[in-house]
Amino acid sequence: MDIKINHIAKIEGHTGFMASVIKGDVKSAKFEVQEGIRLIEGILIGRHYKDMPVIAQRICGICPVVHNLTSIKAIENAMKIEVSEETVRLRKVMEHAQFIHSHALHLFFLSLADFLDIENDLQLAKEYPEETKSAIKIREYGMEIIKIIGGRVVHPLTNEVGGFKKVPTPDEVKNLILKGEEILPVALKLAAFFRTIKTPDFSRPTEYVCLEKNGEYAIYDGDVISNKGLHVKVDDFENKFHEFQRPKEVIKRVEKDGKTSYMVGAIARVNNNHGKLSSNAQKYLESLKFNMPDYNPFHNVLYQMVEVIHCVEESVKLLRELTHADLNNAITKKYVIKEGAAAAAVEAPRGTLYYWVDVDAKGYIKNVNIITPTAQFLTHLEDDIAAFIPGIINADEKTKEKKMRAFIRAYDPCISCAVH
Amino acid sequence: METIKPKIAIVSLTSCEGCQFALLDLGERFMNAMNEVEMVDFRLLEDEEDSGEMLDIGFVEGNPMTVANEKTLLNLRKRSKLLVAVGNCAAMGGIPEIKNYREKKQTIKHVYRYIQGIENKEVKEVDNFVKVDFTLPGCPITAEEFLIYFPMLLDSAATGKALPEIADKPVCVECKKKGNRCLLLDKKPCFGPMILGGCDAVCPSSKMMCQGCRGLRKTGNARAMRAALKNMMNDEEFENTTEIYGLRDDIESRERDS
Repeated sequence: MDIKINHIAKIEGHTGFMASVIKGDVKSAKFEVQEGIRLIEGILIGRHYKDMPVIAQRICGICPVVHNLTSIKAIENAMKIEVSEETVRLRKVMEHAQFIHSHALHLFFLSLADFLDIENDLQLAKEYPEETKSAIKIREYGMEIIKIIGGRVVHPLTNEVGGFKKVPTPDEVKNLILKGEEILPVALKLAAFFRTIKTPDFSRPTEYVCLEKNGEYAIYDGDVISNKGLHVKVDDFENKFHEFQRPKEVIKRVEKDGKTSYMVGAIARVNNNHGKLSSNAQKYLESLKFNMPDYNPFHNVLYQMVEVIHCVEESVKLLRELTHADLNNAITKKYVIKEGAAAAAVEAPRGTLYYWVDVDAKGYIKNVNIITPTAQFLTHLEDDIAAFIPGIINADEKTKEKKMRAFIRAYDPCISCAVH
Repeated sequence: METIKPKIAIVSLTSCEGCQFALLDLGERFMNAMNEVEMVDFRLLEDEEDSGEMLDIGFVEGNPMTVANEKTLLNLRKRSKLLVAVGNCAAMGGIPEIKNYREKKQTIKHVYRYIQGIENKEVKEVDNFVKVDFTLPGCPITAEEFLIYFPMLLDSAATGKALPEIADKPVCVECKKKGNRCLLLDKKPCFGPMILGGCDAVCPSSKMMCQGCRGLRKTGNARAMRAALKNMMNDEEFENTTEIYGLRDDIESRERDS
């Protein structure tokens, strides 16, 4: 028996899914990607480094901030450029804002309908008007931050190698703080609603990989760690994680210790680093009563909610710190273009995003590699679904397909990012 | 009796989908606009299969970079009274078009080890495949502009009235209005004078040069622009920059014709 989903809506990018089951045994479970290849790494080679953040962020319309920042960080590492504390803070605020609006979009508009058995979001908005308004408001807070600091929400403009072209005014920062304070109770209320949704039972022990840093819930930087004892510097990432292509596949896969199955993203981060979450995020996490380590991928949606609360609180904290700083220190200072190669990573909403770049003495790009979260968890998702199918094998065709769609969407895959 | 609402679809080909997100990011204003129409297909918001019915307006984002993309595009044209190209990829080729200017089909060798069986087409704008009735330019589109032209487009689709047109004004008009100091005055390059305005000068307002994602305006003078930038960027830098948003081929043909 084949279970075929031609097209999975409500995810970023285009893909279908195909599973083949013989006598109750899942023989294969595989994505059938329908995305064209844009060859972002290929088109960057030979170009000036200044074009890289501009072009690379266009890999993804929902998480441009993380592609932009990771390319900037990789180039700065390659040329050994140091940036000011204010620059780092402003970037961190943008990162947190990126999490807020990407997560709020996914957990509410892309995934929630699956748990309420509703077919489309216009219907969802009609049945849950209050919750819809809250989700929109939370997104708007995240977007407002990116607009004020970055100049635009989709494909921000002010960030560059060395710092910022333009910084927000102290009044703009104060305004954002007020908005953040207003949005926290809204987020907590929506989170309470999410606590009531019923997620299917499913569990498959795995390895959770994410960044980790002393003293903070790592999002902007850190070392790569896992719940199985892995701890490497970002520069050593490719010694441990090997990217490879299977013939005819446009998404590359990533292998670690000879295995291709490990998980990244909100569920990995919260499992590994929950002790460093903000106070309200911790309280909410406790109220969910999940036992850590938690291996139910449907809970990814709730862990995104945990991170929304964390990012709201953390963004306000960072913005408050910025009220005591001279933001002009974040304006790009003169630096020397140097030859060099280096890596960089950030936590993207969907997991660890890795860039490596090699720049020549004149600042032209010799080589570049980009490893996205979805490329890392694709095999894990296929393995999970293969394990999930036997439990739903007796349901009718339509139900089966629906449950598989819900499963895939809970992962929040971004096919545009994965193919790039 | 229920009134019959106009039918629309928002379809994406290969792209970052940022233009769709720019629309979605309008929040309630987008939802309100959509309440006036019947959304036949918008896969970011609904799971139902597209019924394939006739449409008043088909919006298309991205590049036709696979055979399946091409089919989707041709099918959308066939069933739409009006076809609207959404964003820089659909209108001008977008960043993937850089491939055409450089190593062309060889670009793939930097990225994939096994290239057999992988579709690696030349990047061609949507209007090479189908007739385009209206273009919402930009990378991404200006969502406010969508709200302005959407009712006019619905009206044209319903009544056959002339299609709206974006006024032939340079980016500089809005840039001045915002009180920005002109980048060119500081000897910093900017394509603003030759590029179609309507973006609220969002880039120069962030001290980022206009790199031309909205395309040449009708009376934009590429030759004069190149001359004006001569002391700020050499020919190679000028060309490189025009490649980012697929502007280079348009400039070359404009310069040939002028």
